[in-house]
Amino acid sequence: MTGKKAMEKRSAASPVARNAHLHRRIFAAVLLVAFGLGTTPTHAETQIFDPQTRKWVKYDRQTATRYFARNKQPPEAFRRQVVKFRTAEEPGTIIIDGNQHFLYLVQPNHQAIRYGIGVGREGFGWAGIVRVGRTAEWPTWTPPAEMVERDPNARQWAAGMPGGPDNPLGARALYLYEGDQDTIYRIHGTPEPWTIGLDVSSGCIRMNNDDVIDLHSRIAVGAKVIVLMQGAALYKGV
Amino acid sequence: MLMSLLQLRGPGVSATGVFMASLILLAGCASGPEPAPQEMARSSHQTAPADLQLLCASAAANSAGVEGARVLPVSSQQLDAGNYQVELDAAGSRMSCIIDGEGNVTSIQPS
Repeated sequence: MTGKKAMEKRSAASPVARNAHLHRRIFAAVLLVAFGLGTTPTHAETQIFDPQTRKWVKYDRQTATRYFARNKQPPEAFRRQVVKFRTAEEPGTIIIDGNQHFLYLVQPNHQAIRYGIGVGREGFGWAGIVRVGRTAEWPTWTPPAEMVERDPNARQWAAGMPGGPDNPLGARALYLYEGDQDTIYRIHGTPEPWTIGLDVSSGCIRMNNDDVIDLHSRIAVGAKVIVLMQGAALYKGV
Repeated sequence: MLMSLLQLRGPGVSATGVFMASLILLAGCASGPEPAPQEMARSSHQTAPADLQLLCASAAANSAGVEGARVLPVSSQQLDAGNYQVELDAAGSRMSCIIDGEGNVTSIQPS
């Protein structure tokens, strides 16, 4: 039916039919709103369940900072734990679910160790299949040239910031490679543990220092890394 | 809220309709059973669990006859309480997979 014909048909409809039509539209709109189907968010947000109000609430940088100050650790879902994980991937494979902020290390018998992570902010998310090319303990951080240019604090580390508790790469770094090429992305620790569960980085995967030390102790150089990220801005290795 | 909706309703919209819609709204606001502590975080994008996405990738690789390393899940969504749809890039071709919560692939086809 053409738009004009449809308009003519609507205009010719009786008041009762128009009322019924309006009623159905309002009812459908209420249904969409009630079930959150009315709009598709362009960017996902992290939510945590508040047992006191029994509601899912937004978990952003501000909330996360307050939560960490109060509890000295991130919400339980983002803490290290063994979970069921049905996969044909070999033990030792790292699977990153960027949307849900989890990193899985595949274990035998359909299990995985799950860690909470922070990932790339909007426009910096990526997906792909890469591998651990090398690792480092208390790595040196060298700020990119553009950061040195705009940030006076970064300028003093233009030649490299030695490893330590204030270093942005934290306690360990796993350098991700595509073939023999460094992707410039890393899985690393952080001096800002309250950012676990958030979209905050420039594409690197950040973990609590304790967690990245644990992960580093369990993996081998060459380990396969699968990065899942709906709405990724970039794909690597596929 | 009910009063507000009654006040906002236009001519031809019955009070019963508004009342029913309000009940649905209230049902939408109410939370379900409390999740286990380790499940008390989520993304507003309800994607399929990572292991199910990868099971779909494995099924797509077999179906398309391509190497598993060239198949990557690119998006997913929950269809209903027990099923998920996963969209995959299989060596440049798009495939669509439907999988249940137990990991059984019920459909895999080009999309």
